[in-house]
Amino acid sequence: MKKLLIDAKKCSGCRYCELACVFNKEKTLQPSLSRINVFYDWDEGVSVPVVCFHCEDAPCINSCPTGALLRDDNDAVVIDYEKCIGCRLCTIVCPFGTIVYSSKKGKILKCDLCSGDPVCAKFCPTGALEYKEPQQNSIHKRKLTARNVLSTIISEKRI
Amino acid sequence: MDKKNSYAGKFVRVNLTNKKIEVEPTPKKLLREYIGGVGIGARILWDETDEKTDPLSAQNKLIFLTGPLQGTLFPQSARYEVVSRSPLTGWWAHSSAGGFFGPELKYAGYDFVIIEGKSEEPVYLYIDNDIIQLRSAKHLWGKTVPETNVLIEKEVGDKQVKIACIGPAGENLVRYACIMSDYYRAVGRCGLGCVMGYKKLKAIAVRGTKGLGVADKDKFDKLFNDWIKRYTPEGKYWEHVSAMRTYGTFALTDWENAIGRLPTKNHWTGYFENAENTIGMQPLKNNHYKRHKSCFCCGIQCKYVSEVRKGKYKGTESEGPEYETVEAFTSNFLSIDTDALIRANYLCNIYGLDTITTGHTISFAAECYEKGLLKKSDTGNRELKFVDKPENSKKIMETVLSLIEDIVYGKDEFSRLLQLGSKKAAEVLGGDAWKYAIHVNGLEASGQDPRPHKSLGLTYAINVRGADHLTSLSSLDELGYKEELLRRYGKKLVDILADRLDERYKGYLVSEMEEFYSLVDSLLLCKYGTMWPPLYYFDDLLDIIPIFTGFEEYSDPKELEKLASRIVDLRRAFNIRLGWTKKNDSLHPRFTQEPIPTGPAKGQVCNLEPMLKEYYEIRKFDWETGLPSEEELIRVGLQDVAKELKKKNKVVKNPKIPTTGRKWVHWSKRIK
Repeated sequence: MKKLLIDAKKCSGCRYCELACVFNKEKTLQPSLSRINVFYDWDEGVSVPVVCFHCEDAPCINSCPTGALLRDDNDAVVIDYEKCIGCRLCTIVCPFGTIVYSSKKGKILKCDLCSGDPVCAKFCPTGALEYKEPQQNSIHKRKLTARNVLSTIISEKRI
Repeated sequence: MDKKNSYAGKFVRVNLTNKKIEVEPTPKKLLREYIGGVGIGARILWDETDEKTDPLSAQNKLIFLTGPLQGTLFPQSARYEVVSRSPLTGWWAHSSAGGFFGPELKYAGYDFVIIEGKSEEPVYLYIDNDIIQLRSAKHLWGKTVPETNVLIEKEVGDKQVKIACIGPAGENLVRYACIMSDYYRAVGRCGLGCVMGYKKLKAIAVRGTKGLGVADKDKFDKLFNDWIKRYTPEGKYWEHVSAMRTYGTFALTDWENAIGRLPTKNHWTGYFENAENTIGMQPLKNNHYKRHKSCFCCGIQCKYVSEVRKGKYKGTESEGPEYETVEAFTSNFLSIDTDALIRANYLCNIYGLDTITTGHTISFAAECYEKGLLKKSDTGNRELKFVDKPENSKKIMETVLSLIEDIVYGKDEFSRLLQLGSKKAAEVLGGDAWKYAIHVNGLEASGQDPRPHKSLGLTYAINVRGADHLTSLSSLDELGYKEELLRRYGKKLVDILADRLDERYKGYLVSEMEEFYSLVDSLLLCKYGTMWPPLYYFDDLLDIIPIFTGFEEYSDPKELEKLASRIVDLRRAFNIRLGWTKKNDSLHPRFTQEPIPTGPAKGQVCNLEPMLKEYYEIRKFDWETGLPSEEELIRVGLQDVAKELKKKNKVVKNPKIPTTGRKWVHWSKRIK
């Protein structure tokens, strides 16, 4: 199953994901209503996008009193607005704060992976956001780790 | 969609003298006639100042402007423009920066902010949506740019706040101080940070969470994919987009040196031997590149962070350097010390100095020193030399680096002299010093040379803000975009236009670029994508302007031409009112009389007159006086401007317009 993968090291902080998301979902150009947000520390020169991780054992699904939160075919945690009563319990139990309540709209806003074609990943110019099978990604990371370990061993050997 | 167009709809006027803050709806007529950015800036500055307004006075205005594209999904629309009268040149000043400040200002609900008056105590302006406050900046005064950012972030308790501020250079009224936003983005040229410092305005901090609309959503949806495609391998200029994303603007160093146009030794020549292996894109990428950065919602993403990894300046880290900075602090001094370059860039950034003018003012002094006009006793005991042997780069650049800091704080008489910029410093020194102050109309020449790139000579000569590379420069001949030249101008002209040493038709070309960039700077698009690579042209603007603004008339090339000419002519009129004449449309003799001594363009000089004639023909200026035509001003909708200039005898009824006998079809008649 494909997952939305984040590599913060590649994030340039451009926030294209934010604006593309909100324009796709809300038809307005207002990053503050976006399901994904980029946070940065320009003093240190780093940034990271934060978005729903679609947890395997999702507290939001577990706690929803009306069963309005459910998992769709893409393994995404999505809301059924018919069932949602706007109690905001999910916003409290979410460990990451990626579910928000819009008081203006009177409803919950959260990422639904755009039915299996997330625009944020599509628009990311640097590859910091990718929608793909996670295994390849972790193997890549492991390879990098291996390379670091090996180079340490080699340099120790030389000493 | 809540909103009917992509304007924020309101503007702020802040009077620093009486601390009055007013918020008003942005006048529809102003938007319709001037679109945004420099266009609106020109109108306000024309209306609210006059020839008696001293750049450093409470009467001078400092206007921060956005345009219809900021904060929309349009790629490359992160910029904001600042407009005022320049304390460096005394003429019209505009300068812009990317980053995040511009879009945030619109999300807060404002199209532009007019700063007027002068505060007694240092203040900063805080905008959080509908809350606008002038706050004390006593504790920020004297702080560097990063320190100011961190302190304001802490004070408002939000790391996401966007800040435009000045450093100590602006506070100490260095005439070429810049305004720095989002830490390292510079509103660089013309000394606008000095105006801010004079007004005792340390910073503007903005937080905005409101939304914007699009006038024609269907058309937007239709064209959006086409725009985005231009930034992917499917795009026509992917090779250049990708080079910018990988190397940033310092990719230019190699290309410019290859055509003999890399300013070397205070514009003495345009070729720096072995640049590719010492200061070029590969050495910078390999030895200094640290991390990727970007402006808000950008398709190109040319920003990056550089660091020094060894030696005395180890740990120095800053965004950039851009190409212009590379040139100003390496080849300009014949130095190959890139550690010193990164350090110089860092110092200029944290103190808030324009890297171009800083580098070229110091190199001016170095040439005066070389020619014996300055002795060691005059320079405060500084051995201010050009690098004689590459291995001496480190030692000589150390003097330059310490001089940068001395200029910021005006440590001694010599550094206080250099605070004025090269033109005024040369006037103080007297004698032959002016020969080595390489400026046009008071603004130091940037990282270009008109001798190997003739059209640039006209660009420097007629630019409203002096010798800059962003108001009318053509990259089509510079970098040889033959395919684009063919598409735009047809088979007959392509070879002449592509030849950067041929002056013919270049007056028309530069005039067209000036009109194009007047729109680009009003919509506020980035020059990357409009200048280099040429991703967009007038035909795209015919779609873009109505889609975002709803002003349908601008889908007609004739109306678009009037709009462009209105902005170009109004800026020129601003300078005319200040006393600009034909004499100002000229070049430094270094470019017109001293043949380039080395490199691929050896022996070349720039012959300005044929290009100037073509330019005057298009703009309908009077060949004897350089004054505008009354009829032309009325035609583009500047009746009141024509009237005021007429009162002052600064407009001509029947101008003597030069004819060249060459045929040129204006873009407004070519584009459909």
